Amino acid sequence: MGADLDWSSFRSIATNLLDGNPIAILVTVLFALGCPLLLHYLLYRKAAAPTSGSFLLLGPSGAGKTALFTLLESKSSRLEKSTKPTHISQTSSSTTINLSPTIPIASNRYRSINDPSLSEASKIPVTYHLRDTPGHGKLRELQGISQLRAMLHPKKSKSGMRGVIFVVDAASLSEQNEALRDAASYLHDVLLILQKRALNNGKPSSKIAAEVAVLVAANKQDLFTALPPGSVRDKLELEIDRIRKSRGKGLMDSSVNPGGSDEEDILGGDDGHGMFSFKSLAGEVGVQVDVIGGAVKSDKEADVGAGVRRWEEWLGMCL
Amino acid sequence: MLDAFEILTTSGVVLWSKCDASVGSHIVNDLINDIFIEEKARPQSSSVEIGAPVYKKEKYSLKWKRVKDFGLIFVAVYQSLLHLSWVDKLLDDIAAIFVDLYKDQLRSSRCRIVEYPFDKYFDKKIQELEDADGVIHNEGYDAIANGKKDFFVSSDNGGPPPPSVPSVPKEAQHQAAHTTVISDESTPSQSPNISRSSTPVLNPILTGKGGPGGRVSRRARKAAHANANLSSGEEGVRKAKASKAGGKRMRKWDADGLMDEDNGEILDYSAVAGSEDASAPTIEPVSQDSWGVKTAKGQFILKDLGDETHSISEKAKANASAGVVESSFNAISGLLRNIVGGKVLTDTDLESPLKAMEEHLLKKNVAREAAVRLCEGVRQELTGQKTGNFQSVDSVLRAAMESSLQKILTPTSSLDLLHEIQAITSPATKQQAPRPYVISIVGVNGVGKSTNLSKICFFLLQNNYRVLIAACDTFRSGAVEQLRVHARNLRELSARENVGDVELYEKGYGKDAANVARDAVNYAATNKFDVVLIDTAGRRHNDQRLMSSLEKFAKFANPDKIFMVGEALVGTDSVMQARNFNQAFGPGRNLDGFIISKCDTVGDMVGTLVSMVHATSIPIVFLGVGQHYGDLRGLSVPWAVGLLMK
Repeated sequence: MGADLDWSSFRSIATNLLDGNPIAILVTVLFALGCPLLLHYLLYRKAAAPTSGSFLLLGPSGAGKTALFTLLESKSSRLEKSTKPTHISQTSSSTTINLSPTIPIASNRYRSINDPSLSEASKIPVTYHLRDTPGHGKLRELQGISQLRAMLHPKKSKSGMRGVIFVVDAASLSEQNEALRDAASYLHDVLLILQKRALNNGKPSSKIAAEVAVLVAANKQDLFTALPPGSVRDKLELEIDRIRKSRGKGLMDSSVNPGGSDEEDILGGDDGHGMFSFKSLAGEVGVQVDVIGGAVKSDKEADVGAGVRRWEEWLGMCL
Repeated sequence: MLDAFEILTTSGVVLWSKCDASVGSHIVNDLINDIFIEEKARPQSSSVEIGAPVYKKEKYSLKWKRVKDFGLIFVAVYQSLLHLSWVDKLLDDIAAIFVDLYKDQLRSSRCRIVEYPFDKYFDKKIQELEDADGVIHNEGYDAIANGKKDFFVSSDNGGPPPPSVPSVPKEAQHQAAHTTVISDESTPSQSPNISRSSTPVLNPILTGKGGPGGRVSRRARKAAHANANLSSGEEGVRKAKASKAGGKRMRKWDADGLMDEDNGEILDYSAVAGSEDASAPTIEPVSQDSWGVKTAKGQFILKDLGDETHSISEKAKANASAGVVESSFNAISGLLRNIVGGKVLTDTDLESPLKAMEEHLLKKNVAREAAVRLCEGVRQELTGQKTGNFQSVDSVLRAAMESSLQKILTPTSSLDLLHEIQAITSPATKQQAPRPYVISIVGVNGVGKSTNLSKICFFLLQNNYRVLIAACDTFRSGAVEQLRVHARNLRELSARENVGDVELYEKGYGKDAANVARDAVNYAATNKFDVVLIDTAGRRHNDQRLMSSLEKFAKFANPDKIFMVGEALVGTDSVMQARNFNQAFGPGRNLDGFIISKCDTVGDMVGTLVSMVHATSIPIVFLGVGQHYGDLRGLSVPWAVGLLMK
């Protein structure tokens, strides 16, 4: 029977397919079953496990961004190891991290404690993207700031930019020194971008704008000379205020054509009058800034990463 | 004798390291900062043709190797005093072995947190290289050699060392400590070290079936057979090759009577240790199988490692040669890939686009030296990289050049002049007394020093500062009068807007500029000026006599900022100008920034910006863009890059 198959005309093909030929049946069955599977794998596999948000690590060089990054990464992979030493980064890197199940997340906040599905939900690990950037002055614009812009871009931000973690070395921020100036001017630039985005989205208090929160992570609290988070906040506010004033009076860039509006280049809603504070920024522009202390390196060998617990809680509150 | 060896990723995570505690992490950080990011110290690849480039920091020398596919950097740190000839080979071999062993882990997303148990391989490799080195050169390694050997034996899982030997090196060390004779002393004390450390290595190689690593020992064996009257093969080779070491010993005995006897003792011991070695080749042909059984577990691992490391390095070499055979096929598919993308770039692909790019940069008035270096950097970055989908070689090259230009022009820390002046003139803390902020301006003749100085003065006056202009050009006639005109104009302008105040400090002609500058600063301090702007005489950058007076000037006036004015019009000479002026202020003082004047006259040919920054890695602070007092601008890097790439 198989020998006199005629595949030359449409009619004979149709006849062959319908006459109970075992090969034709097999092909049909395979096609019927395979097609949906193939489509499923092609289309839905990527979207199967959506991550709930992405975060960007920014901050000056030597603040501990890469150390924090590797710490979170090794924590989430349950390889309880001592953290690896790090050097100055030259490239940015990103990874997906499971938030530890003990950390409450914001999307669960309206659930009752007695909700039986809550304990179920906490078993499934919440994941987020984290992107580490180099903090060196030459590479900031190229990789840090441009990365921030790209992630804030409405078309590209499918994964949802949830927040910026700005790491500073709390031990090096003393009065009037270079490190403070450096950190503050970087933070100023970052906040300026966030503010521009928030203001361009229409009303300052619109829903979209409120999504990106900023965490100033005052790292190295394990050191004796480290400033407490409150003091870090004051110092940064004071320094950003100075920078804002001097930027307002400074020279124009060579690219700026005179007559352009430089109104939105001033950080803070009050057009540069009065003192700058994170609180007024949150109130008038809608960019929330939190300063929380912590330490990537801990004194105790037993629990690695205990010092970053509060930052992880902040991450949870953004998810 | 290696102080540290680190394997790190470009994202900054150390994957594996073997470190002496004494090497701080700042050494490697400085390497990354200076070489990879700021490209400050250029390794002279032309003068040092062989092997990896060297970076010297404090007392250490660093050599490195990059593996671009995985974004890995291999760094070896050793003391500059030692001339280790095998570090290049070590880097090459370790890179090949590490990448081959862990390529799956490195490709996975978890590469940063996986453990890499690499110690065994590394120790094995180092021992091998050291042994080979010990046979060939017999130069004196100092006390570090002793410390090093302990380090390896303790970490080694090789066979038990011969029991009689360990007492000997200790004794040798004691002797070394007592007599404190330095370099020649180490020669005799070293001989037991090498013979001892080699014992565990030698055996497995002998039992191993003809690995490439056997070469040395086989040669040694042959030597042992050839002159059978010598007690040890190892010793024989050394004696045959290193006659100069013998010469040193002779001299030593003449100098120090006490040492005579000790040395003899040590040599005796080493001969004993060597004779144990010699017993290996005699047994080997008789009962090779029994040896394999007898050599227990510890040695088995060593042999295994040796074979593995060698097979990996062999494979790496084989791969390199196989590439030539496949090249004809690649040429055909390469044409297609050039359009579709997904092509792996090679040197030949990049050659002609890079040439075109270099021409383009030269047309933009970039000095040839800078253009060549930029292109070389881009070439190194791109070789071996895969192009994206529907991306041509040209567009990849363009993007890479843009980012490399951006990197070179972006300052490490941006200068906020007003902020700094504020910090100096009205400090926040009580400890610091307020003092005037001193800016001095230098440059070649006729580039616009006085003009740019008055532009800066205008800018400062707008911000309500009291400015003192010091006329320290006591040489060219009319210079002081020129400044007086500027000062009068500026005073009128500021009086009209009721901001700031300006005054001219002049002492006429013929005086020493450094003294005038110092007096001006003192005058400003007593009269509560905020800023002192010092104008200097123009000088040719290759005139030694005039340039040397700048050092005294820097010492006397002690400016907070020294800016050099350079024309945008100047071409190739800009590199030498920048370099010579940068070095003119003596050790410990450099330029703080460039002011590029006459930018409005060159259109988009702003290559001078790149040339000057390239030569000194000092940022550009201001651009002069016109004839008016207000025509001073800060540098916008995207603007400059856009013009250059147009």
